[in-house]
Amino acid sequence: MSIISVTDLHKSYGSVHALKGISFNVEEGEIYGVVGPDGAGKSTLFNILTTLLLPDSGEVSVLHKDIRKDFLEIRKYIGYLPGTFSLYPDLSVEENLIFFATMYQSSIKENMGIIKPIWQQLSPFKNRPAGKLSGGMKQKLALCCALIHKPILLFLDEPTTGVDPVSRKEFWEILKTIQQQNISVLVSTPYMDEATLCDRIALLQEGQFIKMDSPQAIIDSFQGNLVTLHTHDIFNLLHLMEQCPFHCNFYPYGEHLHVIFYEDLTTILPSFEKFLQDNNQIYNNIQQIKPTIEDCFIEITTEKKNL
Amino acid sequence: MKEFLQIIKKEFIHIFRDRLTLFLVLAIPILLVLLFGFTISTDIHHADISVLDLAEDSQSKALIDKITASGYFEVISYPMSESEIDEDFKNKNIKLAIIIPSHFEEQLTNEKFVTLQIINDVSDLNVASILNNYIKAILHDFTLSYNKINEADVPIDLSIHMMYNPEANCVYMFVPGIITMIMIIITALMASISLSREMETGTMRMLLIAPVKKVHVVIGKVIPYMILSFISTIIIIIISLVVFHMPMNGSIGLLLLLCVVFMLTAASFGMTISALVNTQLDAMMITMMGLFLPTAFLSGFLFPIDNMPYIFQLMANIFPGKWFIIALKDVMIKGSGIGDIWSYLLILFGMAMVLIVVSLRRLDRRR
Repeated sequence: MSIISVTDLHKSYGSVHALKGISFNVEEGEIYGVVGPDGAGKSTLFNILTTLLLPDSGEVSVLHKDIRKDFLEIRKYIGYLPGTFSLYPDLSVEENLIFFATMYQSSIKENMGIIKPIWQQLSPFKNRPAGKLSGGMKQKLALCCALIHKPILLFLDEPTTGVDPVSRKEFWEILKTIQQQNISVLVSTPYMDEATLCDRIALLQEGQFIKMDSPQAIIDSFQGNLVTLHTHDIFNLLHLMEQCPFHCNFYPYGEHLHVIFYEDLTTILPSFEKFLQDNNQIYNNIQQIKPTIEDCFIEITTEKKNL
Repeated sequence: MKEFLQIIKKEFIHIFRDRLTLFLVLAIPILLVLLFGFTISTDIHHADISVLDLAEDSQSKALIDKITASGYFEVISYPMSESEIDEDFKNKNIKLAIIIPSHFEEQLTNEKFVTLQIINDVSDLNVASILNNYIKAILHDFTLSYNKINEADVPIDLSIHMMYNPEANCVYMFVPGIITMIMIIITALMASISLSREMETGTMRMLLIAPVKKVHVVIGKVIPYMILSFISTIIIIIISLVVFHMPMNGSIGLLLLLCVVFMLTAASFGMTISALVNTQLDAMMITMMGLFLPTAFLSGFLFPIDNMPYIFQLMANIFPGKWFIIALKDVMIKGSGIGDIWSYLLILFGMAMVLIVVSLRRLDRRR
């Protein structure tokens, strides 16, 4: 049975329609990712699911309980890690942990088992004020505080935003061990590479889910052929692409340009190269590649726009 | 209950780790009392005066002795004519001159209306009016004792009656005022800043998601500041009793009860303000402009309420400072008991209860 069940959820702030009829289910024991750009409605969704905000309409149940009526009961069994550092900077690592454990009528001792892998990394700094930890360590401490009462369901709202790549990788490894302890996780992230680490993801844009599936299934459903090429003058190239005579989507990808063609590459690629050469573009490493989730996201959103 | 104690403990950790704030909170009250007591005192001692004694009889001598003995005046010159008085004002910087008419004793014996002329240096209005009051009080006293000794009935045109504060001692005025200000700074301001800091940094959201009672969160956060301001209040009271010899005519127990009730009211104002705003800066501005300044100006601490325009007199009622200062003075100076001040206690307590309910409802809202 679904641990989170949402049907046709709407939420507006004045004239801003933040969530426009979202429906999805999160199954027990899975890591479910909500992926979307800033302002897509991720935090609104999380605020509603964590019982802080009331929806305008729609059915929402968390842990098989109604978020409108049984919010006090839900709060006992969920853990929440906000994107911004929300612990007490002047309290030490240990004091923060003790404080939040007490707020949930629990103790560090009682649930040491669940936080042990993280606590081992944190314990050398246990007397340090939380505000003086590094970004990665802060998030690990926040995760400890969110787990200290052994929740059934964990909400992570952009947990790795602003965290260095090494710490991000470590953080996701920890998430996998948490999952093994039978804790379901709903995580939001603006990082597409993290989306592939989830069991299932939902792509959120402008308050609507535009795609929901496992990362592999989303990649498999990619429409079109993806080509990458490297250039030193991406600005100039983008400008030229505005006049590209072929049916395609294009977008910068670091120092590369990604182009999605909707026709067979064997015929179109030579013509495309000729178009670039005719216009004096210097490029190299042009080749077909497999799409990432980010490519899929861009493809789906632009496809939607073109409709 | 364990959560509640943990919240109080956590708040104390915040306070003790912020050494500068802690120092200021405990040092400011002491500084303020000493400042007001020693430098902003409106009491004047040994003011230089001149006396032109045109009578030079035994009663005029007795009057001059009485003026000198009061300690408020020092007769530094005995001019021979009115023009010399002018000189004294210019050259000797006297604050006041008295002219005793000729046949002073005779006029008294005949029980006629006696007129004394008093000339003031009104370049400093405050000093002049204070000295005027002193001299009036002394003359009044002089006439009374003359009538008593001689069984006479010299008309008295002075009707000064300095009740409860016969020496017009200004300590009686500013101590209740300072206690009020300190309690508002520590309880309302610090508590509202502390609460809105939790909202600003997102920790309040963590607490709201936790299955802990909101009333525990809010009251637990406010209690440490109430304790702190209680300590400050006791320090102020001790200084005012020991250093400035303020009277303590009522019961200390009642005084402390009154302080606790006012602290609760101040804390509830702080809670309500923080429930209405989102940032520490807003909380600070609103507490200063919306509570601290009106309390300073409308509580009767700096300006008498009776002299204010009617609209301000009405406004003064909604700020708790007015009621607290009245009750505090009643207990300390008049020695009033609970029977006399229960209505003030009830007003303060009522304000606190209403505001606590409002702020809790507002904090716990889900939109």
